[in-house]
Amino acid sequence: MANLQVVVVTPECTTLDQQAESVSVPLMDGEAGILAGHAPMIGRLAPGELRVSGAGKSGSYYVDGGFVQVTENVVSILTGRCVPVNQIDRGAAQQLLDKTQISASDKAELVEIKNKTIAQARAQLRLATGSRG
Amino acid sequence: MANPRALDKRRKSIRNIRKITRTMELIATARFKKAMERAASATDYTRRITKLVGDLTRAGLEVSHPLLEQRDATNRAVLLVLTANRGLCGGYNGNVLRLSVQRKKELDELTGGRTVIEVSGKRGISGLKFRGIETGESFTQFDDQPKFEQVEAIANRYLEDFILGRIDRLDVAYTRFVSASRQEAVVETLLPLGKLDVAAAAQPTRGATAAAQSESAQQDIYEFVPSAASILEEVVPASFKVKLFKCFLDAAVSEQISRMVAMKSATENASDMIKMLSRTYNRARQSQITGQIMEVIGGVEALKS
Repeated sequence: MANLQVVVVTPECTTLDQQAESVSVPLMDGEAGILAGHAPMIGRLAPGELRVSGAGKSGSYYVDGGFVQVTENVVSILTGRCVPVNQIDRGAAQQLLDKTQISASDKAELVEIKNKTIAQARAQLRLATGSRG
Repeated sequence: MANPRALDKRRKSIRNIRKITRTMELIATARFKKAMERAASATDYTRRITKLVGDLTRAGLEVSHPLLEQRDATNRAVLLVLTANRGLCGGYNGNVLRLSVQRKKELDELTGGRTVIEVSGKRGISGLKFRGIETGESFTQFDDQPKFEQVEAIANRYLEDFILGRIDRLDVAYTRFVSASRQEAVVETLLPLGKLDVAAAAQPTRGATAAAQSESAQQDIYEFVPSAASILEEVVPASFKVKLFKCFLDAAVSEQISRMVAMKSATENASDMIKMLSRTYNRARQSQITGQIMEVIGGVEALKS
């Protein structure tokens, strides 16, 4: 079976470009696994874990939201930030969470921004804890 | 004739300056290459985002988003000016500042004086202070390799302000990188975004992209998860962020080029000056020697008679 090509692009650089057997991405409404031969898809990502597994190299990364686009066995992921799980700055994430949680937000837009930041911080913490245990 | 010793001293100091400018030129060249690489990888992201937008619009989606809409009245505006932290780069900072002062006047007319200027770069801060223009927020943390995280923090603040109606317009004055031999100072309106540039995605830039374009044209049916509207909600802020980031990158690349060019001409001027001074110095020395010989001969003649 044909292999998948995974490309992760951030505005700064292309962080990942490799062959893989399967990719699982954190979508807004839950995790989705992608194998070769997947239907063309555009999805919105939530902050969470991106897992790439293949014969050559497997890895687990934290992505900061963004998009995933699947076309003809090429999975392109556009995200603001992509870091390997073992390099997550746990302290910074905790700080961000604490700071955001105590801030008051009086408008609907602000609440949305706050929720997003909290989700990002929580996802980072969860992944950082998971990789350590 | 001038004093040969003074001439020699001057020549030496110019030689030292030439050494410095030459080194600065080399450093700027190295930095320019690095900044250029970063800009190239950012282009990759932009291209993919525009392609995504193109796919979305082809799916028959009505593109509408609060960030895209023109506001009826512009009550408050922000002008972000991107300059360098350091000088010695020719007209780079001056050009941007001149344009931004002009734009500030235009915006003031529109908003009735409620325009805030925000500056990045020490040169811009001091330049505007000198012109007697008050500035709001200022940043000095951006060097020749701006980080996306830093830009994103600023972008998020603008997005928040714009959505909440604290600002109605955001303009950015920076130096656009056109080619290695051409950069121009421009002012662009980033918020409201106006239209998402789908046209740019339709233009194939390279052979590889052209192939990808025709491929996607053949099968442009996608499954949207969770929905196309939800994706659009995320695409618009993302494309704003990357646009702002591109401004910072362009400014960084242009700065290095300007410095390279300025230092190159400084080195050349120093060389010319050394040549001229050497000529004057040699002539002065020669005439001094001639004078001394004349004196000696005169003395001998006097003794003979």
